[in-house]
Amino acid sequence: MSAISGVIAPRSVEELAEIVRGADDGLRICAAGTWLDAGHPVQAAHELHLDALRGVRAYVPDDLTISVGAATTLRELDAVTAAHGQWCPLLPWGTDNATVGATIATATSGPFAATLGRPRDLVLGLECVDGHGRILRAGGRVVKNVAGFDLTRLMTGAWGTLGVITDVHLRLRARPAVDETWLLHVADDDAVAAWLGAPLAPLACVPFGMGAQGTAWLVRLGGNAEFVAASRRALFALGRCETRDASEWAIVRAEGGPPPRATHWRWNDLSRRLKTAFDPRQVLNRGLLGELA
Amino acid sequence: MASLATDLSALVGPAHVITRASALLAYESDALPGYRKRPSLAVFPGTRDELIAVLRRLAQDGVPFVARGAGTGLSGGALADGAVLLGLHRLKRILAVDVAARTATVEPGVVNATLSRAVAAHGLHYAPDPSSQSACTLGGNLAENAGGPHCLKAGVTLTHMLRATVVLPEGEIVTLDRGDDGGYDLLGAFTGSEGCFGVAVDLTVRLLPDPERVITLLADFETVRAAAQATSGIIAAGILPAALELMDQATIRAVEESIYAAGYPIDAAAVLLIELDGAAAGLDADAAAVDRLVREAGARSVRSATDPAARAKLWQGRKKAFGAMGRVSPHLVVQDAVVPRTKLAQLLEEIAAIGARHRVRVCNVFHAGDGNLHPNIPYDADDPDEAGRVHAAMAEIMARCIAVGGTITGEHGVGLDKLPYMEALFTAETLDAMCTLRDVFDPRRRANPGKVVPVRACREWLGAVSARVAGAQA
Repeated sequence: MSAISGVIAPRSVEELAEIVRGADDGLRICAAGTWLDAGHPVQAAHELHLDALRGVRAYVPDDLTISVGAATTLRELDAVTAAHGQWCPLLPWGTDNATVGATIATATSGPFAATLGRPRDLVLGLECVDGHGRILRAGGRVVKNVAGFDLTRLMTGAWGTLGVITDVHLRLRARPAVDETWLLHVADDDAVAAWLGAPLAPLACVPFGMGAQGTAWLVRLGGNAEFVAASRRALFALGRCETRDASEWAIVRAEGGPPPRATHWRWNDLSRRLKTAFDPRQVLNRGLLGELA
Repeated sequence: MASLATDLSALVGPAHVITRASALLAYESDALPGYRKRPSLAVFPGTRDELIAVLRRLAQDGVPFVARGAGTGLSGGALADGAVLLGLHRLKRILAVDVAARTATVEPGVVNATLSRAVAAHGLHYAPDPSSQSACTLGGNLAENAGGPHCLKAGVTLTHMLRATVVLPEGEIVTLDRGDDGGYDLLGAFTGSEGCFGVAVDLTVRLLPDPERVITLLADFETVRAAAQATSGIIAAGILPAALELMDQATIRAVEESIYAAGYPIDAAAVLLIELDGAAAGLDADAAAVDRLVREAGARSVRSATDPAARAKLWQGRKKAFGAMGRVSPHLVVQDAVVPRTKLAQLLEEIAAIGARHRVRVCNVFHAGDGNLHPNIPYDADDPDEAGRVHAAMAEIMARCIAVGGTITGEHGVGLDKLPYMEALFTAETLDAMCTLRDVFDPRRRANPGKVVPVRACREWLGAVSARVAGAQA
C-alpha cells in the first residue's frame, strides 16, 4: 500500500478530469473527510480535495429542485432551502458537516428514508468524472427522466469507485406545515411497529434509549394540522409522551446509525466488470471496498 | 436460420416459434404505429427454464434478439429489425405474495393490473399505473422504468423494484438488487435499460397499502396557461397529490366524441384532474386548499368525487384519451418530454404556436404534476406532406423542451423514436459512458440492438466493429 504523500485540489470539473486522466497512482476522494474511514484502507498516493466544488448552482424554489456542488455541506443545503420553507430530506446518519457528494456517493440514508425517500430516490442527476477522466452529465434536473442508461443510479452508492461526483441535482419537498417531535415511553414495542405501518404513521421513529417504563422512542410527526392532530392522538394512545425540540434529530443522527456498508461490500463478476470498465487503472478510491479479486 | 428455428422449436415446442412472414406481421410494430420492422423469427418460451435455454441458444450463434412483453410501448423499443423477437407474455405466473412484507414476486409477463387485482383482497396494490396497465407487462415496465398518473406521489417503477433475477445476453444468470446491503445499484442501472442489458426471469416488487380515502377533483379553465399555473401553484404550495393530470381542449373533444365520454366540459380550454389520497385525517383540508388554489388561478368550476364509481368516471377520459384519439386519424405520434414545472405554461403556449405554424393538431394530455408533457399529434402517415409537417413540429417541440432544461422522455423510453434527440441532450462523453455500461451487461450488443444510444456515439463500439471486420477478413 502506497502512503498518501500529497494533496491535489482541483478548482473545476475540467481540472479534475485532467488530474484523473494523468493520475498514475491512486486518488483518495475527500470532501469534508467524514467518510474516510469506511472500514478498508484506501491505497492512494494523493488525496483529492474537492472543497472548491461547493455552493448552490441552480435553485428555483417553485420547481422543488436544486443543484449543488458536491462539496456543499448538508448544513448549507438545509439553510438555503429552509429559507423557502423547503428541505432536502436526505437527513442521513452522521453530522450536517458531511457533504452532499459523500451522502450520494455512499447512498447513506437516515431515519426519514422510509417516508421521505432515500438518496437513491432523491437524486435526479449528477455530474462526475469517471476513472477514464470522462466528464459525465447524467440524468437531469427534472423530476422524471428515463432518457438513456441510468448513470445516476450507477454512481449513487458506488463510494466514488466508479466516478468522482462533482455536482448533484436533488428533489426537494415542502417542509411539513406542522412539525412536532415527541419522546414516547412505551412498554409494548409491537404496538409501535403496527403504528408505523398504519395511515397515521409518523415521519420517523427511532429508539432513544431505555426508560423506566420500557423503550423510549424519538418520534417526528409532520403534515397538515388535521393530520398531525389525528396522528398525535394515535401517539398518545401508545404511551406517555413528552415534547422535544426538533434539534434532537441532529443529535440522534450524529450518534446513531448503521456502520458504513463498505465493510461488508460483496463483489461479484458483474460488479468487478463494472469497476474495470469505468476505472480500468483503479485510480479511484482503490481498496475502499476491499480487494477486487 | 433453419437450424436455429429447429433448435428453438425443440426447446419451446413448434407451436411457440413463428417463422412465416405473414404471421410475423403481428409483431412488426408496438403501440407507436409510425414504425414497422419485421423480426426474422419469433419465439415464445413458456417457462423460466425454456427462457434461459432460448437465450443460451441465441448466445451460441451470437444472434441479436429483442425482448417484448405486450407490445404496448410508445417508443418503437420492442421492434426487432431482422432480429429474433423474444415474446415473454406466456411467463405470467405470480410466484409469491408476502402480505406482511408487502412484496410480490412475479414472472415478467404478468400484466400490471393483474397483479393489483390479485392482491386487492389484502388491501394492497402495485402503484405504478401506466395508461396501458390493463395490457402492459411488469417485465416491460421494468425495462422502460414505466410511469403513470399515480407515479407523482408514489414514484416511478424503479421506486417499487426490490430485486430481479436476470439472464444476461451471454447466458449468465445474476440477481440484481439496489445495493443496500453493500454493492453497486445494479437493479437501478438495469431498470429502464430498455431491454439492452438482459431479460428478467422474475422480479420482486413492493406493494403499497390502499389509501384510507381518495378524493378526485376536476377543475376546468378558460385558458391552458391558467391550468398550467394552477399546477405549479399546487406543487409550490407543498401539496403532493397522488396524481395531477392536464387535458387540453383538443383532447377533451376527442374523448367526449368517443365512447369513453366522461362528461368533461367541451368548451373548456383545459381541465385538471387532481387526485388526493392517504390517511382520511387531513385529506379534506388538502382538498380545500387545492380547491382554493385552482379557483385563484382561474378555474371556472371544480367538481369533486369520493366514491369509486364517480371517481372512475372522472378518470375514464384520461385513461382512454389515447384510444379516443384513434378515432381522429389512423396514426398518432406521442411525445414524452419533461420540463421544469414552472415552465409548463410557457411551453404549452410555444407548443400551440409550433403546431399552428406547421398546421398540425396537437392534443395535450399529460402528467402535469411531474412536468411530463405528452403532446400527441394524430395524423395520416400515408400522407407524406402531413407526416413531414408532424415530424418537423415534434423536432421543434423537443428542442424547446431541452432548451428550458428538460428531458426528452419521462416514462416511455428512447427506443427508436427519440434516438435523434440523444445527442442534443447528452455530451459525447456521457453517451460513450452509457455504452461502457451497456457493454458490462451485453458485450456483443445483441440485446435490442440499435436502440437508446445512437451507435455512432460509441467510440469503443466503432473500434470493436472495425476490429471484427478486420478479423473476418483475415
